Amino acid sequence: MDIGAIDYFANGGNSFLHRASTRYKLIFVALVIASVVITDDFILLLSVYLILTAFVILTRLPFLKIISIASYPAIFALLFAIASWNGNWIGSGVIVFKALDAALATVLLIVTTPYPNVFAALEPLLPKVVVEGLFLTYRSIFILLELIDNLIKALRLRGGLTPGRYLKNIINFSSGIGLLLVRGFDLSERFYGVMRIRGYNGKMAELESKKLDKRDAVPILIGILVLALSLAGYVRNDLSKYYIYAFMISILSVLFTVSYTYIQKSRGLNWKN
Amino acid sequence: MSHMHIPDGVLPFWLVSAGWIVTLAILYISIRWSSGIKLEQKLPLIGIAAALMIVGMTLEIVPIAYHINMSVIAGIVLGPALGFIAVFIVDLIIAMFGHGGITVVGLNTLIVGAEAVLGFYLFRACLSVLRRGGISIGFSSALAALFSLMLSTSLMIGIVHISQINPSEALHNDVQNSGQSIVSHERGYLYEDSNSQNRRIDTVRFAKTVLFLGIFGWVLEAAITGFVIGYVSRVRPDLIFSKAT
Repeated sequence: MDIGAIDYFANGGNSFLHRASTRYKLIFVALVIASVVITDDFILLLSVYLILTAFVILTRLPFLKIISIASYPAIFALLFAIASWNGNWIGSGVIVFKALDAALATVLLIVTTPYPNVFAALEPLLPKVVVEGLFLTYRSIFILLELIDNLIKALRLRGGLTPGRYLKNIINFSSGIGLLLVRGFDLSERFYGVMRIRGYNGKMAELESKKLDKRDAVPILIGILVLALSLAGYVRNDLSKYYIYAFMISILSVLFTVSYTYIQKSRGLNWKN
Repeated sequence: MSHMHIPDGVLPFWLVSAGWIVTLAILYISIRWSSGIKLEQKLPLIGIAAALMIVGMTLEIVPIAYHINMSVIAGIVLGPALGFIAVFIVDLIIAMFGHGGITVVGLNTLIVGAEAVLGFYLFRACLSVLRRGGISIGFSSALAALFSLMLSTSLMIGIVHISQINPSEALHNDVQNSGQSIVSHERGYLYEDSNSQNRRIDTVRFAKTVLFLGIFGWVLEAAITGFVIGYVSRVRPDLIFSKAT
């Protein structure tokens, strides 16, 4: 999980999802997750995944990188699927695609939204200490990543991480983590102090208007559509035979977005710039 | 290893809802409990301890999502209340990165939060007993980490096991035979009336897999926790022995 790259994608992009309001993107994610929770239909889950894949292509961010970030939960889902294996591969596929759908929807939010916007949108739902903690934690991750980079280099240069000397390596590595904790705390305390001096009082600034804009229409409509399909199949099981049409449409949407981005020669453009 | 990477929609709705309700209740109590201290002084420590946990959780030791949690370190440094808040923050952030489901955040916070809370109390207990025998702070924290991880992994297996007990199914067991399945060949594969029937987990197999993988993780994490806490106690003892919150 490359947090630095995710932050870069969120701040550097200019796609329709980057421009959409954080509040409505959160609703979109909630709708997709709700539909993933409701449905157990493999075809629908596969269709949702393909539609989300089309979204990834349209963001013009590096496709494989985003997909690989969002595929991480599939590893544990696979373990879960193996544990519940009853000879029916559809059942295992459902577990894996539930993981992939929910993760890809969430990752789409994170790679298209700067983190202060996400935390600001969550502010009404969470206690103040948690929102402040979220903000400071996210900031501290970058402090730690920089410190870890220097630490690993220093350990290697001084022979602290030598192949074959496992116990010595663990001791050196652990002392390094202890050092990171102490140094990171000092830096985080200083950072927080500077923020307080500059007027930060624990409240995140309202960055966007609450009104539904036309740029929010696509994620909201797709979210509602996906949830409606799941609910329809849940309420009347015989309706799920029509999911095959959703599957065809999702394949077409992927083909369309691929050709559209190739025609525009804009694949991965935001990353390259 | 005790962190559940279970995706959204796999565990029953009643269980994930219960997880969220219990977590929010504990979170509320933790915030009330820590309201007596100056949070401005503790927030940077929450931030860095939580960030350390995230970095630890994102570093795969073995490429099967096998990582260290460092939750016991967070518990020892922050205390049980702030440790639990830090764990909730961590679970929320990593769920946003697709590392485990959003709906599972409640249950994950309970499991990893149990590590932090138990880690703190076991560390203090070990220290008060073992110090008289000249055993170091590092060894006490390693022992605390080992037992906390064993207990939290057992808690995770327990949650996975009870996830198969559907309360409504249990209540209506006399009326309806829960084993009945409606077979439909409309699309060439099997449908079952109760979808949860399709995903019965062999708890023994799951427990064996997790415990087999877990043992290495417990020992490794206990060793790392011991060395980290040993180091911090020498450099900044105030971070470890400050008033518990």
